[in-house]
Amino acid sequence: MKNVIVKGGIIAATAMMALTAGFTTSASAKDIVIQMAAPDWGPTRFMQEYADKSYKSPSGNNVKLAIDFIPWPSFYERVAASMASGEKKYQLVVSDSQWIGTFIEGGQFMKLNEYIDKDPELQGILEDVHPALTTAYATYPYKSENIYGFPQMPDTKVSVYRTDLFCDAGEKAAFKAKYSKMLPCSYEDWEAVDWDTWGNIGEFFTRKAGEKLAGKTLTEDFYGVAYQAGKGYDFSSCQINAFIWQGGASIWDESNQPNAQAEGVVNSPEAVAALEKYISYLKYAPPVWKTGQMDIFQINDLYMQGKIAAIVNWNAVSATAVNPEVSTVADKTAYALPPGTMVDGKMVRWDNIGGQPFVLTTWNDDEVVQESLNIVKWWLSDDTQTNFAKNGGSSALQSVMNAPGYNDLEPWNRAHVELLPWQMDFWHVPEFFELLTQQQEEFDKAITGQVTAKEAMDAIANYQQELLTEVGRID
Amino acid sequence: MSGFFNWIMDPKRRGALLVTPAIILLFVMNIFPLMWSFGLSFFHYKASSLKPPRFAGLYYYEKVLSDPVVWERFQTTALIVASSVFVQMVFGFALALLFAKKFPLRREILMLILTPMMLSFVAVGVFFKLFYEPTFGLISQAFIYFTGEPFALLSTTWGAIAGIVIADAWMWTPFVMLLVLAGLVSVPNYLYEAAEVDRATGWERFKTVTFPYVKGLLLLALLFRTIETFKLFDVVYIITAGGPGTSTETIAVYVYRVAFQYFKTSQSSALSYILLFVVIVLTNLYLYFVNRREQEG
Repeated sequence: MKNVIVKGGIIAATAMMALTAGFTTSASAKDIVIQMAAPDWGPTRFMQEYADKSYKSPSGNNVKLAIDFIPWPSFYERVAASMASGEKKYQLVVSDSQWIGTFIEGGQFMKLNEYIDKDPELQGILEDVHPALTTAYATYPYKSENIYGFPQMPDTKVSVYRTDLFCDAGEKAAFKAKYSKMLPCSYEDWEAVDWDTWGNIGEFFTRKAGEKLAGKTLTEDFYGVAYQAGKGYDFSSCQINAFIWQGGASIWDESNQPNAQAEGVVNSPEAVAALEKYISYLKYAPPVWKTGQMDIFQINDLYMQGKIAAIVNWNAVSATAVNPEVSTVADKTAYALPPGTMVDGKMVRWDNIGGQPFVLTTWNDDEVVQESLNIVKWWLSDDTQTNFAKNGGSSALQSVMNAPGYNDLEPWNRAHVELLPWQMDFWHVPEFFELLTQQQEEFDKAITGQVTAKEAMDAIANYQQELLTEVGRID
Repeated sequence: MSGFFNWIMDPKRRGALLVTPAIILLFVMNIFPLMWSFGLSFFHYKASSLKPPRFAGLYYYEKVLSDPVVWERFQTTALIVASSVFVQMVFGFALALLFAKKFPLRREILMLILTPMMLSFVAVGVFFKLFYEPTFGLISQAFIYFTGEPFALLSTTWGAIAGIVIADAWMWTPFVMLLVLAGLVSVPNYLYEAAEVDRATGWERFKTVTFPYVKGLLLLALLFRTIETFKLFDVVYIITAGGPGTSTETIAVYVYRVAFQYFKTSQSSALSYILLFVVIVLTNLYLYFVNRREQEG
């Protein structure tokens, strides 16, 4: 009887404890919504879907990631308006790397070093993230030790080309006969393509209606090559920077303030020659380049309509080229390295990085910051990044991108991984938009023939020197 | 309670009560932001920064007025305004003269002609951008058909200005037509009959009968269209984004860049007030001429 009473007491006590524990747990688990501002496209749509499906906060709180999808053309304005208004709506923001200076100096983006120093998991992630991405996406001042973000979607520019044309026996023979060079067909062939060959390809494939192309008579004009040459946002600068860096020239070096000068650097003879070279290949592109409106979406659309033989474009944008629902050339498209420049017997491929980091905002309490960091950890975990890569995204983690089979997940992965070490970025300072807008205007004048390359570069250098001196970034 | 209701509904107060919501709305949505931005133009302030404003006096007015870029943008704007308003007035008047007469399907065609001004600016901008597109656009396709070569209208300064003027005039010529038409149909028939008895020529009839009746409305159309075109933003931004280079960047596009891309809030506020001042001066200039003509009349 005594045993029964003891056993009953133990069971009752255990039940009480379990009940209490259960009650305590459910009472302390909070409902937290992490709002994130993000551009509306595949990489962020995947993040939302995958979070809805798989994200569970390790803290035990009921955390929901709620992404505010904003169309690309108005993304900056919407984010900037939110940051400026003081509405404090977002806990996480996907930001172009160039904007971070504006919102760090403005007090909206949070420095993360303190949290990283205390958290071995974040330290591990930071070690695994490709260093080119951390430098470009997260450091401010640029190339400093201050960390402000983590990669959401890394991006690079790749060559996108028509295999039915580049691998056609007749076209290959004709190209060889004309230029004494091989028309690149495979990925390996493209490794040897420099900008001069790109020009040859452009000239070779630019044909009028009525001429033959790979054995078929053209019903409309066909164009050889295209890359971005648009006045909007950074559409010319991102491609011209590749020519500048590969040509041995530089842009204003913000990591060396206040000693770095703009005059004499931005308009050096090498930089002028780089711009001239960039402009020289535009004549093989569809005529929209003459209006200064040949942006990344336009070249992709024209390529998918079957009007261009090869383009250089962001892999995130040109991923649609292999989608048969929107592309007429989906079954005959391949991706490869973009052209480079031969320097001392070695092909250099310096280029302007694309993609975006995501950053934390400054107005959240400790618990929300921790939950935001938990989302960062979840996003940059092996499992999430592998699934992201399997669904069209590009991983930021070296452990994932170096894993066997990664290059076969998407046709541009191999080029993307090889290109990451060659990526650099342009300015992150708060004056970024003024520098960019004036530069884009001058590039546009040079592209549309209103000024020479030298006049454009001189105007850019002069403006940058004046503006950056005025704000104290140049002595 | 009923005492208060009766007091407030007193005919002396009822009017004020009825307009109060509209005045509150006007103050909150219009007058307060205007005053606020006017205040900001005298302070160092960037909307992208959380730092508090610091007093700057007239610094930004001086800066804006001595900035050669601002004057360049004013020149571009003046050129576009003058060209576009001229085209609108000429075609608007001609269309009004046409529709003042009766002919089969007049009402149906009139409705079609009025459609452009009912469309959104963005729709018109996108439509004309595609229309001008040199690879697959309609104009270029026509050129390819006749010459074998594509045509890029927006590739030169004058071409781009023409492209904007055509789009803006296409959209707003019906507005001018509508105003002038209202004037034309109000001309009493006996005046034309009297002119006919006097054996007045067509030009004399127009000069002495028609024009005096539509003059006031024509000036009103000129005033409205000048002010509106002066603020032209959407169509320019979509069709050319201010290019090639900066050759079609109007002052409104420039204000947008300064305010929402560079986040120079104080500077853009000062520039906006200078713009407002210009519009007020233009308005008063027109009103002065209208009044003088009326007094002369």
